[in-house]
Amino acid sequence: MAGQDKMALVLSKFKDSLFRLGPLILLIYICISEFHTQFYYWAIFSFNFQFIVIYYWILRDPDILGYGFVFICGFINDVVLSLPLGTSALSYLFVSLVAAYVRNATVRTSLFTDWFTFVIAVFIGNFIYFFLMNKFADAGIEYTTLFYNSLFTFILYPLFWSIFEVYKKITFARRND
Amino acid sequence: MSTSRDDFGIVIRSALLQRGARQKFSLFALILLSIFIFVLDNSNLKPIKILRSLINDGIYRISAVSSSPIKFSGASKDFFVKHIFTYQENERLRKELEDLKSKDFQSSFLEAENNKLQDVLELEKKSPYSVVNAKVILDKNSPYLNSVIINKGSNAGIKLGMPVLNEGYLAGRIVEVNFVSSRILLLNDLNSRIPVVVSPSGTQAILSGIGKREPSLEYLPDNFMLSEKENIVFTSGKDGVLFPGIAVGKIVLEDNKKFVKLFADPDQINVVSVALKQQEDGGAR
Repeated sequence: MAGQDKMALVLSKFKDSLFRLGPLILLIYICISEFHTQFYYWAIFSFNFQFIVIYYWILRDPDILGYGFVFICGFINDVVLSLPLGTSALSYLFVSLVAAYVRNATVRTSLFTDWFTFVIAVFIGNFIYFFLMNKFADAGIEYTTLFYNSLFTFILYPLFWSIFEVYKKITFARRND
Repeated sequence: MSTSRDDFGIVIRSALLQRGARQKFSLFALILLSIFIFVLDNSNLKPIKILRSLINDGIYRISAVSSSPIKFSGASKDFFVKHIFTYQENERLRKELEDLKSKDFQSSFLEAENNKLQDVLELEKKSPYSVVNAKVILDKNSPYLNSVIINKGSNAGIKLGMPVLNEGYLAGRIVEVNFVSSRILLLNDLNSRIPVVVSPSGTQAILSGIGKREPSLEYLPDNFMLSEKENIVFTSGKDGVLFPGIAVGKIVLEDNKKFVKLFADPDQINVVSVALKQQEDGGAR
């Protein structure tokens, strides 16, 4: 009987850990797999899902997403997309920096404060990406593509914010059970 | 005023240097590390290149495995969509078959004539290129890059710049070679520029990727007129890298601009042939 209880406890702890690791697994998966955020059929539509995940979780629950993992995800993204190593990592880390700054500077956060400070994060993240690619890499970037990417990333933030809020509540409830 | 500046300094310093139970590294240290890696990667040192090749090979394999659920869902969707449109496709194919039947007599005659001419010229009927077939293991698009990864690299004799064919049509060129994998830059990528020739007029132009499905034709002469027949685009080989005469696509007009509908659909590339070299006695397609 005691063995069964122990087993149930281990299983429950494993499930909790898996839930807590969800955002990290999601971030690694979108960086390493063929997860598409650009579609030919509506060419102007593309968004940077990584920025949304990083910004939300660093801002709302930094214990779930460590800076080291953000760095590794950037590194993986550079390899998969054949960018100079360090480009995405720097871009993601600056998004994390804005999120960490907002977290330290504000007491109460809401969707609107998060959303509007996210503009600064997207701007800085994409500016770093654009600067490094433009100055050091041989790849062409279209300003309009980058603009639409930033715009749709900004527009879609509240949607993912709501989904992540629900997820966070579920994780919190599980932890306190 | 100075107080708010002090506050900003304190908060930013805290954000950069703060570590916690889960945050093993400070942001500042990781930013420095990223800059260091970026500088190393841009230094073009041979050991770094070899290391990057090894890392690329490893991550591409993991990436290919982790992408299998996405590939499976894509294939399932295609399967259902194909079944839904089977009737329409059947009608279209029936019409095409009738057209083809009418053309069959003409093509038989041309084939016989072609064989006869080849006999006269004593040409061997074989593929004009020596190729290596490879499978696409990763197809990750970004808003800025349209490229795919294949499962063959320098171990199969692949080198930078080699043309890549899909069902005999140009699909792109090799832009990165690792030991057991390579990256193909597709023709619709923003960075793709291919010298081409338009048939039947023989006009030279540059095929430029614009990040959309159909690349555009640039540097056409001002007095260029489209022929009434189909205007097919072939590689011209002017760059000295791509072989001349590889079929690329046909010209389509959109808002008076000339785009090229590619024969090798960039969305449907699964297996490719990398043309290693042109057979000495092989002609153009």
